[in-house]
Amino acid sequence: MLSIEKINVFYSELQALWDVSLEVNEGEIVALVGPNGAGKTTTLRTISGLHKPASGDIRFLDHALGKQPPHKIVELGLSQVPESGKIFTGMSVFENLELGAFIPRARKDRNQSLEWVYGIFPRLAERKDQQAGTLSGGERQMLAIGRALMSRPKLLMLDEPSFGLAPILVQNMFELIAKVNQQGVTILLVEQNVQAALELAHRAYLLENGRIVGQGNSKELLSFESVRSSYLG
Amino acid sequence: MNLKRIVSIVLLVAFLIVLVLLPLVIKKDNIINLLILVLLYMTLASSWNILGGYTGQTNLGQAAFFGIGSLTTRLLWIKGIPFIASFLAGGVVAVVLALVIGIPAFRLKGVYFAIGTLALAQILNITVGNMLPDMSYNPGLSNYQLAPRYYLFLALAVFIIGIAYFLVKSRWGLGMMAVREGEDAAESLGISALKHKLLALSISAFLTGLVGSAFAYYHVSYYLNMPFSPEWTFDPMMMAYIGGTGTIIGPIIGSIFFVGLQQLLVMNVGEWHLIIFGVLFILIVLFLPGGLVEAWTKIRQAFVRRKKTIKTQQPLNKEA
Amino acid sequence: MLQSLGQNLAFGLLIGALYGLVALGLSLVFGVTKFLNVAHGELLMFGGYASFWAFSLLNLDPFLTIPITIVFLFLVGALLYKLVFSQTVKLPEEAKIKNTLLIAFGLSVILQNLALRFWTADEQSITTSYAGAAITVLGVRFPAVRLASLVVAIIFLVALQLFLKRTYTGKAIRATVQNWEAASLMGIDIHKVYLLSFAIGAALAGAAGTLVAVNYSIQPAMGLDWTMKALIVMVLGGLGNIPGTLVGGLVLGVTESATSFFISSNYREVAGLVLFLLVLIFRPQGLFGKKEG
Repeated sequence: MLSIEKINVFYSELQALWDVSLEVNEGEIVALVGPNGAGKTTTLRTISGLHKPASGDIRFLDHALGKQPPHKIVELGLSQVPESGKIFTGMSVFENLELGAFIPRARKDRNQSLEWVYGIFPRLAERKDQQAGTLSGGERQMLAIGRALMSRPKLLMLDEPSFGLAPILVQNMFELIAKVNQQGVTILLVEQNVQAALELAHRAYLLENGRIVGQGNSKELLSFESVRSSYLG
Repeated sequence: MNLKRIVSIVLLVAFLIVLVLLPLVIKKDNIINLLILVLLYMTLASSWNILGGYTGQTNLGQAAFFGIGSLTTRLLWIKGIPFIASFLAGGVVAVVLALVIGIPAFRLKGVYFAIGTLALAQILNITVGNMLPDMSYNPGLSNYQLAPRYYLFLALAVFIIGIAYFLVKSRWGLGMMAVREGEDAAESLGISALKHKLLALSISAFLTGLVGSAFAYYHVSYYLNMPFSPEWTFDPMMMAYIGGTGTIIGPIIGSIFFVGLQQLLVMNVGEWHLIIFGVLFILIVLFLPGGLVEAWTKIRQAFVRRKKTIKTQQPLNKEA
Repeated sequence: MLQSLGQNLAFGLLIGALYGLVALGLSLVFGVTKFLNVAHGELLMFGGYASFWAFSLLNLDPFLTIPITIVFLFLVGALLYKLVFSQTVKLPEEAKIKNTLLIAFGLSVILQNLALRFWTADEQSITTSYAGAAITVLGVRFPAVRLASLVVAIIFLVALQLFLKRTYTGKAIRATVQNWEAASLMGIDIHKVYLLSFAIGAALAGAAGTLVAVNYSIQPAMGLDWTMKALIVMVLGGLGNIPGTLVGGLVLGVTESATSFFISSNYREVAGLVLFLLVLIFRPQGLFGKKEG
């Protein structure tokens, strides 16, 4: 579904990603894990079009993504829940969700999508007229995911959804992500919480200092000695 | 010193000698007036460039210094104070004004500094217009001579461009450019942004004030608030940008170009030269920020590259 | 004495509403794109001339020329954005802000001199048949034209607020203001948002120009003075704060009137500029804005 081949990404003179390649197939949950500063967020931002790669190919459902503006990429069916959600704090929960369905493709099914999202996140339904800025951390993350789901993506990318959440909420969050996947959304998950990510995902890639240093079936990776020691400490 | 430098200096001196001797040879007043106009703009553009080009602080209030310099000099001179003293007083008052407004003004950054200085200049413009609305008449009208005015402007131009040149080469100049590139980065290197900005402002104000003083000496009769008018900021600023901010020669080229264009188009209809200038200004800001200086450098580079490729091709032809 | 003070206050408020409309377009553009369009006054001037010619040639009541002015300036604004300002969007933040200021300034020179070429430097004004009419309440005279202008200004303010708060497009614009990256991840085309905001801002300037032509006069060099007024109101009300714009306008209007009354009418502008500088230096978030965290 999504294939990235040898992308090199620069921030001015500084190279952030070196020949990064990865693949996500339909129906999968793929995790991209690595330590802080490895370039995980950069990878997602590049896929979403917020950043342009200097070289390499990004293909989604047979469309070349490299030069597309971000809003076009969303129209193709690839959405991202950015780091720390970035919800619109000055608007209500409902308005945030409403804007999530901005693209024409999603606009006509807006009411159905709302039902769907409220079904997955009943808390959001309870708080639908509340100012998004007054929500708790966990609720904000839910809203961010819900908002992205409103665009009816085929592939949803999540940038550190567990960030700043208490452990029990993390558990909850990952269960919800699994649920979304079961309902037909392919997932690319970026996480620092390697354990939880590997337990949830089918496959995973390890990113370190802008390079892919490992990949494979997540159960196998969990058992690898090296992974255990460097990441799970 | 290599040959190139010696030749440049000799040419420059020769050129200056020509300019100095000019009024003795050419007796036509309108040509001298035209040259004075060029020198006037050249000095204003160069002064603006010190704060606006080298230090990167867009000063939209330069007319305030031009105005206060000319106001001071005119009032003192008419009262009978000898010209030299009146002339210098114009510059001094301008610096005082700069320091008084500089310290609060520099609390504003970037865009806000620009509109803040504009507001200040407008306040002075309106206030002077209210308090001194009458036309000012030249006291020594009967023995008015153009040549001294010309020499004053010429001397000022040499002085101001000279100051700009040595300032740029100095440590202070380096600091100013660092501030332009990034205030925070400069501060982290121990360069006080505020001190450098104040210095640039003071120098710019002093020089602009002196130009204002010369203006007061030159104009026979004018409304005292006329030099406070915003166009005395905007026109030199555009000239500096079109010529190339942050260079010594940029404001010089820009001012010559401006007056040349003005003369060329005044035959046709009214203000076309300003419209063309405005379009050029926008094009340069968007696509060629180094101005005509950058354009010239690029043309020279392309030419050099062509020469090199031709040279490397020759041996192949020889063999064939 | 009290009577004329009351009259003075009334005038200040009436003018203040107009000032609010004058600043509205500038505030919108600045809030969304962070461009400080110092050619705003020139756009206003063109609006005034559009109304003037529609009034002179088509015999339309000036208030009815407003739709024409709005459409005309909307198109002009869109064109200017596409041709010029859109080139700067790719630049880094600081360079973008500085360059758009310079470009706007260049535009103001071009527009001012174009107007000079088209319409000469003569001052023009729209004088309606009912220009002298007024309502008198409690001894205070409210001229009909000023009252109508007040109504128009308030209509536009309310309309803009409703547009931003209630319509889908308006919400997309607000979302872009709050977080443009997140907005683009929702599939919102940021370029379109900028284009639309700029065009609406120009249209509002045009509408304000009509009111200025009716209440005052227009001439090609008027741009800078009105841009300054718009800047003052914007800073007073809080940058990018739409409702604050009306209040900022009222404050300026009353300040000018009070200056006129207690000092001299020659210093009205100066008072506004001084207030502007004081707020800019000591309370940059505006009289009603919130301090940025």
